[in-house]
Amino acid sequence: MSSCSSHSDDLSSVRSQDPNQRRVLDSATRQRRLTRQLEALEKDNFQDDPHASLPQLVKRLPQFDESNESGKRRKKTRGDHFKQRFRKNFQTLLEEEDLSVSEGPNYLTAFAEPSKFPQRHFCAVCGFPSNYTCVSCGARYCCVRCLGTHHETRCLKWTV
Amino acid sequence: MSTLVLDNGAYFAKIGYSHEKVSVIPNCQFRSKTSRLKTFTANQLDEIKDPSGLFFILPFQKGYLVNWDVQRKVWDHLFGKDMFKVDFADTNIVITEPYFNFSSIQDTMNEILFEEYQFQSALRINAGSLSAHRYFHENNSELCCIVVDSGFSFTHIVPYCRGRKMKEGICRINVGGKLLSNHLKEIISYRQLHVMDETYVINQVKEDVCYVSQDFYKDMEIAQLKGEDNTVMRDYVLPDFSSIKKGFCKPREEMNFTGKYKTGEQILRLTNERFAVPEMLFHPSDIGIQEMGIPEALVNSINNMPEEMQPHFYKNIVLTGGNALFPGYRDRVYKEVRALAPVEYQVSVVLPQNPICYPWEGGKLLAENPDFEEMVVTREDYEENGHYVCEEKFDI
Repeated sequence: MSSCSSHSDDLSSVRSQDPNQRRVLDSATRQRRLTRQLEALEKDNFQDDPHASLPQLVKRLPQFDESNESGKRRKKTRGDHFKQRFRKNFQTLLEEEDLSVSEGPNYLTAFAEPSKFPQRHFCAVCGFPSNYTCVSCGARYCCVRCLGTHHETRCLKWTV
Repeated sequence: MSTLVLDNGAYFAKIGYSHEKVSVIPNCQFRSKTSRLKTFTANQLDEIKDPSGLFFILPFQKGYLVNWDVQRKVWDHLFGKDMFKVDFADTNIVITEPYFNFSSIQDTMNEILFEEYQFQSALRINAGSLSAHRYFHENNSELCCIVVDSGFSFTHIVPYCRGRKMKEGICRINVGGKLLSNHLKEIISYRQLHVMDETYVINQVKEDVCYVSQDFYKDMEIAQLKGEDNTVMRDYVLPDFSSIKKGFCKPREEMNFTGKYKTGEQILRLTNERFAVPEMLFHPSDIGIQEMGIPEALVNSINNMPEEMQPHFYKNIVLTGGNALFPGYRDRVYKEVRALAPVEYQVSVVLPQNPICYPWEGGKLLAENPDFEEMVVTREDYEENGHYVCEEKFDI
């Protein structure tokens, strides 16, 4: 998440509190950031696989107790092309279904609509109801202390 | 001829023979930083000594089964000699699926159940249908009910009439237990301690400490008070896996409101997070998800139904799924639906004793039902006719 500064080459100006020199993000960028944050909430794991760096040889160790007796009962699966079907991700499967052409209720029509009630806003720092918006990035805050924390830690620290 | 009932959830698999008790087992694989060579499957979780930074491998993505490799490994373990010792040729299986399951996933599941495992016969059904069956079994006089299944990946609101689901009324909110845990991780990581890797520990925190508030703004005001007046604040002791095996919430008598604790434990101080996180089920717009919350979607779904059925739906609202275990959930749903529903209709919300296993119990009743034989597809049927017979018989 590197921040690229397009308005000035001087790095120190990004950190200054001078309002004339702070960048202001437009609404499209703010929307992109929000979408990015929401997608990050869908992740299973935030760390890397602990087994990722291990050599593949470990998995070749034969296991004599299990495979012999189960081989009698089960038919062998049909090899590689079968396995490829098992590894598609969600997006691919959804596109394959091609739901836009089918009639009647389906996965896409079951989507809940936007709420009729107005959105409530909470301070990004402490979580209590907020009244004010950060000028640069659009985050909410409730008091000047939280604004200070926000500027020091998160405001414009990364861009999409 | 025994029947195995398997409620195949994205987080927990509820499995058991229909004549025995149900077991709730994690439906995924784990990897740990400490024991580098082994991948733990399902309930081998108990063997892990140090669940910090536990890495999850889930076969489900957004609530649908995409990773069959992992799912097969978990099923191998569950059906094998360590667990249920399934004799495939002599067993029927009742297995659950999400709503509007993709046809490619359905076909793959047929193939795996019949060709690889070779079950005698199988029934694929939605989890909510099993819950509805169980509900109608207890309340014979009711004709319709509406099931709110709030699970790990999402929440579905499904109306049932005379045992059949009404597809036009199905509503899906993309907020589930996973979103709540991830959000809690983010806010704790920003405000107090970096816990983004600790899914398992924070899940425990969420289950122990979070509750659904009945009056949101009042609780917010109380949470802002200092010292003893702040009845919402709790301290949670994090496990360090050497002396403290499992995290717990400090009782109020031991809490130190001024100054720091002397002992070396790691403490999380939780105030508004306790009720702001489950609030996302009721107002997903709080974090920017532009969808309706549970009470609104319930009323919306009922309004899409024919006029004469609506009072029946309001009288029979059933809450299931893991998220129903939050304290105060049922009362809050009742309060909000009562406020939104027309005044002449009677509103009644039912929370079963065990919301997680409710569909499983429905499956158990279904297996003992005399009509069960006609509902399943046997292996011979499948081998003669292929996927077509399953599409016809199972109403997914």
